[in-house]
Amino acid sequence: MNTTFQKINSLPVSTWGWLGVNGTDVPAEIPEIVPCKKENKIVRVPDSVKLFSGVLPVPELETALGTDAADFVQDHWNCGITAVVPAGTRPEQPIFLSYHMDESNPAIVDRNTLVAEEGSEVTVVMSYLSKEGVSGFHSGLTRLFAGKNAVIHLVQVQLLGDTCVNFDNIGAVTQENGAVDIVQVEFGAKSSYAGCKTRLLGKGSRMDYNTIYFGDQDRSLDMNVVAEHAGQKTNSEISASGALLDESSKIFRGTIDFLRGAKQAVGHESEYSLLFSPKVRSRTAPLILCGEENVEGQHAATTGKIDENKLFYLMSRGLDELAAKKLVIEAQFRPATEKIPDDALRRAVSEFVEKRLNKIESLSQ
Amino acid sequence: MRDTGVRKTYVEDIDRSIYDVKDKVNASFQVEKGLTAKIVNEIAIKKNDPEWMRLFRLKSLQVYNRLPMPSWGPSLDGLDMEQIITYIRPDTRMSAKWTEVPDDIKNTFERLGIPKAERDYLSGVGAQYDSEVVYHNLREEVSRQGVIYTDMESAIHDPVYGPMVKKHFMKLVPPEDHKFVALHGAVWSGGSFVYVPPGVNVEVPLQSYFRLNAPGAGQFEHTLIIVGAGASLHFIEGCSAPKYNVANLHAGCVELYVGENAHLRYSTVENWSKNMYNLNTKRALVEKGASMEWVSGSFGSHVSYLYPMSILKGEKARMEFTGITFAGKGQSLDTGMKVVHAAPYTYSNISTKSISKDGGNCTYRSSVKILPDAHDCKSSVSCESLMLDDRSRSDTIPVTDIQNDNVDIGHEAKIGRISDDAIFYLMSRGLSEEDAKAMIVTGFAEPIAKELPMEYAVEMNNLIRLEMEGSIG
Repeated sequence: MNTTFQKINSLPVSTWGWLGVNGTDVPAEIPEIVPCKKENKIVRVPDSVKLFSGVLPVPELETALGTDAADFVQDHWNCGITAVVPAGTRPEQPIFLSYHMDESNPAIVDRNTLVAEEGSEVTVVMSYLSKEGVSGFHSGLTRLFAGKNAVIHLVQVQLLGDTCVNFDNIGAVTQENGAVDIVQVEFGAKSSYAGCKTRLLGKGSRMDYNTIYFGDQDRSLDMNVVAEHAGQKTNSEISASGALLDESSKIFRGTIDFLRGAKQAVGHESEYSLLFSPKVRSRTAPLILCGEENVEGQHAATTGKIDENKLFYLMSRGLDELAAKKLVIEAQFRPATEKIPDDALRRAVSEFVEKRLNKIESLSQ
Repeated sequence: MRDTGVRKTYVEDIDRSIYDVKDKVNASFQVEKGLTAKIVNEIAIKKNDPEWMRLFRLKSLQVYNRLPMPSWGPSLDGLDMEQIITYIRPDTRMSAKWTEVPDDIKNTFERLGIPKAERDYLSGVGAQYDSEVVYHNLREEVSRQGVIYTDMESAIHDPVYGPMVKKHFMKLVPPEDHKFVALHGAVWSGGSFVYVPPGVNVEVPLQSYFRLNAPGAGQFEHTLIIVGAGASLHFIEGCSAPKYNVANLHAGCVELYVGENAHLRYSTVENWSKNMYNLNTKRALVEKGASMEWVSGSFGSHVSYLYPMSILKGEKARMEFTGITFAGKGQSLDTGMKVVHAAPYTYSNISTKSISKDGGNCTYRSSVKILPDAHDCKSSVSCESLMLDDRSRSDTIPVTDIQNDNVDIGHEAKIGRISDDAIFYLMSRGLSEEDAKAMIVTGFAEPIAKELPMEYAVEMNNLIRLEMEGSIG
C-alpha cells in the first residue's frame, strides 16, 4: 500500500515555509499489514490493570503527529492494548509491550489507550525492534489519560533497523494534579517521525517530557512536542538531548502554549544538541505561545561541537579521543536511559548505541 | 509564583498628537486606486523611468500576481489592494533648502523635529512626503569626502551613479522573494541612495524620514546604501503617519551593501499610525571582516511584518541586532530578524525585547541559518517578552538551521510578567510599589533604549512612562 501522510508534525503556528519546519507531507510505502503474531510481540500487564478488548469510550485527543497519522492507526491497527488502571492502584511492575518486526510481520501498527483513574500510578514500557535487513513500517498511536492525582510514566524505546520507517504518535491529557512523565528514545529507523502533545487540563497537572535522539549515516529524525497549558498552575518540562553524526539530520520542534486562563503556569524547555560531522543538519524550532499574563515560560538551546575542555579533561585522565567522545555521548543520554525500568531493555539501548558508535570513523577524526 | 492580586501596572500609549496632525492632501499627481499594468506604466512614465526600470516594474507586477499571500503571520484581511493609491506626488519639487519646501509640509517636518535634528547632529537629511522626496541635503564637508546621499530618482538618472543603481537595485531582495516585495518592485517611488567611498568614515549620522500623509495611500520607498571597503556609516530611518479610518500600506525595501571591513549601523524607529499595514523588507550583504548593526524600534502600525535580514557573506563578517517591539490595542506586530551565516568565522548576536499590553499582539519570529561551509561560526540569540495583561498575546517563533558541526549556537527565550519577587525586593529596599514597577519596565527596555539615537531614546522613555494605579498589598 502506498499512501501519503498529510501535515505530519505541524507546528502549532506556521512560520516561513522555506525553513521546512511547518510540518510535512510524508509519502510511505507500507508493507501488507497482517494480524500481529505471538512471536512478534511481548505483552505483560500487571493483574491489577484491566484490559479491554472492545472500544473504551474516551474523549477525542489531539496528537502531535496530526490527525492523518492518528486516523491511519485507527483504521489499520494490528496490535496494542486498551487498559484502565483502577483508582488508587499502583502496580509495582510496569505494563510491558515489545514489538519485533521480521519478514513475516513487517508492519506494526499499534493502538494503545491507557486510562489511569484517580490516584493511580503506572509505568508503561514500550519498545520497537526489527530484524536486520527487514523493510519495516511502524506507526503507533498512544493515548494517555491521567486522572485526578494519577501519574503515568511512559517509556518508549525505538531501536528499529536502518531499513525501517517509524511514526510514533502520542497524545495525552491530564486532570487535576495528574501527571504524565514521558521518555522517548529515538535511536533507530531510516526515517523517524515522533510527536507528543499533552493537554494540561486540570489545575496543578504536569508533564515531564524527555527525549534522546541519535542520528548516524543518512538517517533523519522529525520530532514535535507540544505542552498545551489550559489549567491553572500547570507545569511542563521539555528536555531534548541528542547527537548527530555522519550525514544525519533532525528537526526538533518544541512548543509551550499558554492558553488564556492558565494562570501561574510554568513551562520550561531545553535542547542540547551535539554535532560530530560537517555534513549533519540540525533544525530547531522552540516556540513559546502566550495568551496569559501570569505565567513563566523559558527556553534555552545550545548546539555545537563537543566541549573541548571536557574532552581534554577526559583525555588527560587516560582515555583516547574516541573513548572520550563515546563517554560524552553516553553521558548525555544517561538521564533519560536511567528512567528505563527494565534492565534488559536498558542494556539493549546501550548496546545499540555502542554498536553504532563503533562503526563511525568520523568520531576519531 | 505568587499572585498578589494587585491592580495592574498601566503603561501609557505613546502620545501621538505630533504624528496625528493631518495636512490637506495637495497632490500634483496621483494614480487611481488599485494595481494594474496601466497604473504601473503610468508611474514609470510619470517618474521618467529608464526603459529597464519600466520593464522591471512590469515584471514585478507579474510576480506579484503570481505569488500567494503569506500563509503565516497576522491577518491581512483588512488590506484591499483595490483601495490603495500606490503613487501620490506632492505638489512640490525636491529641494535642498527647507525654505523652498511648501509651508504645510515643512511645518509637519518641523513638528517631527527633523530640521532641528539636522542642524544639531546630522550629516544629512532626506525627507519623503507620500511618494516622493521633498527635501534632501548633505553637509558640504561630508559631500567633499565623496559621499553621495540623494534621492533614488536623482541617482537613477545620474550618469555616474545610475549604472551603480542598476547593478544593485533589487538584486539583494529580488521581487520573487515574497508578494509584497514584488509589489514594491512594481510601484516603488522615493527613498534614498547612499554611497560611501572606500575608507571614508562618516562621523555623524544621515537620516531619512518617511511621512505618509494621504489617506488610503501606500508608501513604497527604496533605500539603497553602498558602503565601500573600510568605510563606515550610521544611517537613521524614521517613519510616521497620521491615523485615518482606511487602511494605509507601507511596503518599502532597504538594500544594504557593506563592503570588506566596512561598518554600517542602521537604526529605525517605526511609529506608523494604527491603520497602517507595515510590510517592509530589509536586507544587508556583509562582506569579509565587515560589521552590520541593526537597531530597530517598532511601536506603530496596525499590522507589521518586519524581519531585517543579514547575509554574512565574507569570512569574519559580523552582525548585531537589537530590537524592541511594543504592541498596544489593535496592534499585531510580527517582528524579528533573519541571518544567514554563509562564510566561516562569522558571528551574529541578536537581542530582542517585546512588550504587549491592552490586547496587543507581539510575535518574535526569527531564523538563524548556518550553511555547510560556514565553519567556526558563533550565534547567540536572546529574546524576552513582557506581558502586561491577560488580554494581550506574545508569541516567540525562532528557528535555527545548522548545516555543519563546527559551530557554537545558543538561544534563549523568556516570557512572563513583572516578577512579584523583583517588586518585593525593590520595595524592601525602600521603593514604593509604583516606583518599583516603573523601574522594572524601564530596566527591561533600557538595553535597547541606550542603542537608539538620542531623540528616539527620549521618545522611547516617554513611551514607557508609567502611570501607576496599583495599591499596595
